[in-house]
Amino acid sequence: MFRFQSLDEDCTLEEEDDGLVEEEEDEIDQFNDDTFGAGAIDDDWQEEHKRLAELDERDELGEGLGVGVGVKDETNFGASKDSSSTHVTSTAGQLPFHSALSLPHHSSSSGRHQSDVEDGRREGHLAESLARLVLEADPAIAGVGAAERPVFSQNQRLEHESRSRLLHQASPISHSPHPHQHPQQHQRPPGSSTSGQPPSSMLTYQQQQHLLRSLPSTIGQMNSRNIWENSMGFGPVSGCPGLVTHMEDSPLMSIIKEVGLPKRPSQGRNDEGRDLSERVPPPRSSSPVIGSPPVRAVPIGTPPKQPLGHSLNHQIHHPTAVHVRAPIQHRYPPPFPERLSPNTLLNFANSPLCRGPFSPRVSPVLSQIQRAQLLNSQVAGVPRGGPVPTLLPAGGGFRPFFGGPHPTLGHRMGPPHPHGHPNHMPPIGHNATHLHPQHRRILTQRMQNRGGDRSRTGGDWRNRDPYSNLMTQKEKEWVTKIQMMQLQSTDPFLDDYYYQHYYEKMEKRQEKERDSSKKEHTTKLITPQVAKIEHTYRPVQFAGSLGKLTVSSVNNPRKMIDAVVTTRSDDEEKREKQVWNKRRQILYTVEKIYSLLLEVQDFEKRFVHAPEEDREALLEQHKTNTMQLCNSLQEKEWDDRVSDERCVMIMSVRKGKRLISRLIPYLPPSHAAAVVMAIARNLPTLAKKDKQDQVLCWLVEPVSAVIMSMSSAALTDLLQELQGSEGQLATVLHNKFGVTLLYLILSEGERMQSSDPNCQLMDDNRWTELVFSVTRELLSIPTSSLSSPLFTPTNLIALFSRYIDRQRLDLLQEKLQISDLSR
Amino acid sequence: MFCLLFYSFFKSLVGKDVVVELKNDLSICGTLHSVDQYLNIKLTDISVTDPEKYPHMLSVKNCFIRGSVVRYVQLPADEVDTQLLQDAARKEAMQQKQ
Repeated sequence: MFRFQSLDEDCTLEEEDDGLVEEEEDEIDQFNDDTFGAGAIDDDWQEEHKRLAELDERDELGEGLGVGVGVKDETNFGASKDSSSTHVTSTAGQLPFHSALSLPHHSSSSGRHQSDVEDGRREGHLAESLARLVLEADPAIAGVGAAERPVFSQNQRLEHESRSRLLHQASPISHSPHPHQHPQQHQRPPGSSTSGQPPSSMLTYQQQQHLLRSLPSTIGQMNSRNIWENSMGFGPVSGCPGLVTHMEDSPLMSIIKEVGLPKRPSQGRNDEGRDLSERVPPPRSSSPVIGSPPVRAVPIGTPPKQPLGHSLNHQIHHPTAVHVRAPIQHRYPPPFPERLSPNTLLNFANSPLCRGPFSPRVSPVLSQIQRAQLLNSQVAGVPRGGPVPTLLPAGGGFRPFFGGPHPTLGHRMGPPHPHGHPNHMPPIGHNATHLHPQHRRILTQRMQNRGGDRSRTGGDWRNRDPYSNLMTQKEKEWVTKIQMMQLQSTDPFLDDYYYQHYYEKMEKRQEKERDSSKKEHTTKLITPQVAKIEHTYRPVQFAGSLGKLTVSSVNNPRKMIDAVVTTRSDDEEKREKQVWNKRRQILYTVEKIYSLLLEVQDFEKRFVHAPEEDREALLEQHKTNTMQLCNSLQEKEWDDRVSDERCVMIMSVRKGKRLISRLIPYLPPSHAAAVVMAIARNLPTLAKKDKQDQVLCWLVEPVSAVIMSMSSAALTDLLQELQGSEGQLATVLHNKFGVTLLYLILSEGERMQSSDPNCQLMDDNRWTELVFSVTRELLSIPTSSLSSPLFTPTNLIALFSRYIDRQRLDLLQEKLQISDLSR
Repeated sequence: MFCLLFYSFFKSLVGKDVVVELKNDLSICGTLHSVDQYLNIKLTDISVTDPEKYPHMLSVKNCFIRGSVVRYVQLPADEVDTQLLQDAARKEAMQQKQ
């Protein structure tokens, strides 16, 4: 039929390495599959027919034995068939296996008979049966597997025992619940007539392999039937019984074969070849096989070969020498989903019987799930790794066959990231995001805390998630790759601003909290950075063309309108509504200053990461920014003084106060002092405006820092400013921030006096006077109107004790609730 | 390039408990497992807050929520640095302008 066969044959002949060729063949077959559908089989029907005809004559004799025999035998068999026995009885096709054990010849014929009966029935219910066939994997598998298990000749007691062993082994496995288990009267392929394997048992792929290997192919007469059965159907509608020999195929493949894949007579031949290695030369029916040119074990249209197939091929050449088992031990064929494309499966599920929309069982979606379920059931016993949430099922749990390194966690790095991350690999599954080590640590701790509870209860059902494995590992990686590629950034500090800075702050916090004794190495976040490539787009230009070319692409859509963005000037803004305008202006100013501030703040980080050549430019820009920042508080550009008005204006807005508090550390000392002065001077106003927000206290920290660095003269000035006009102090004291500020000033003064003997604070009387007035005020105002400060400096008592007498001191102490340390 | 501000923000919240309210009025409480640039959210250990009038969610332990169907995400307040978020937004705005 198709040429592919020869291609494969060539490959086979030339192959030295099983693996290599196999891959090529895999690809070829996959390709064929996709193109032509899995139904493309290249075999010679005429030859088949001839052989079948011969078989037919021979087997007609044994036809007399009916089902009844099988039944009796089956009951005799007894032991290993606990739960499956019911299934066996219900399905006619099951029996022959048991009969096979005791009555080899009978069984073959009975099986044969069965197949006849089956066929007749099958044609009748073809459509339904095919539909169900697709879905019922296990019976199919059982059927397939069973079919493989050939009839025993009486001198094969050993094998019989081994088989019973296997049956025992298999029957527990049969208990793995498969949703679609139910007796199939019609579907039972005649091949399964020889199989006694608990039909409802879900034989996993490995088990089948195992069985195949350990049962040294006592196929014998079975072969003949296989061939006959194999050649029974030549089209998708054949409802072939004997995809017997497909034990080496994945279970679902067998379904496909059952559904419609034309026979693979070579399979039968292979089996015979295998058989021959251990047994008496087979009956005449199989002789044409021996010595015939090597045939592909698997027809072209089928999914990629398994190693088993290969060895079988070789078998034919050396019928006496080589054992099947030997070459394939080391290699596990990959599980089903990787080899068979969903298309193939779909083709087979749907093509022969595209029922109407009301047979959802044959829908593409379901077949996908079927496939996944199959795989799941295969690996039902394999536990997943740790208490991992099953959102992204770790593919590793399902790939014990591969034996290769687990690719899962490699995800996290993303393919193009050159990672030097000192991270440990936590069991967070397919978390492909790049997390700060601290973050990861927190997460793992959490997992461990919770996983302990979960693993006890959830372990069982989680092992068999019916919706896992819908995608292969490669597919998952592919999708993840795409997503991660989109997230590559040239400037992680900018693109990932929040995350980076958040964890930086956390690090700093931790460093502060941690005592210096245990110098635990704080892991830093190293963000992978992709080199910035200049992507200057140059539109396509043709030499000599006139005008602009209308060339547009996805990345450069055509410019329809030459729109120019015009920003409204400040003058225009002032013409707007006054009240809102004012506020908006303030906000606008605040934002402008903020952007400058952020630029300045991030300068250091960017400087470190910038390449050499960029550094100078960066530095220049930084200087400009800083300058602008300084000038931002000035009324006019040339005026070097910090504008009071402007400060107050900014601070009338909540955002502004925050801004000022962040801005002060970046200002030069003179400017900073001026700002603080302005604050002190205008405290009443500020206090009034802050009544709603109550956020003045944000300023405490930066202001205190400034105060610490002030000179005595400046301090005095500040105190004076604070007191300012009549009654201001009262207002100040009424406000929490004001009180705090006052205390700060006083405390600083005291510190100066006590620490520095040369302190000029006492040189002029201003300071003393101011303190006096302060104490007077403090004593006079009612306690209720005195707000408690944010914190009380400890040296206040010392300060006051310098200036006032004991009595007053006590009073003051009581009022202010200052504890005296000296006493 | 997508707006990564909230992706960055949610990344910092991975592992914390959040309540996601969807546009179909379903509120789901769970631990934030992961987020992507589309703000699709994966939650583990979920429970439907509010009266369990959505019994079909009883057996669900983990879920994936498409970003476009989220109405609100309720966060623990102490896990959020609003100042930093504001700064990030400013940066983003600056970037967009350029």
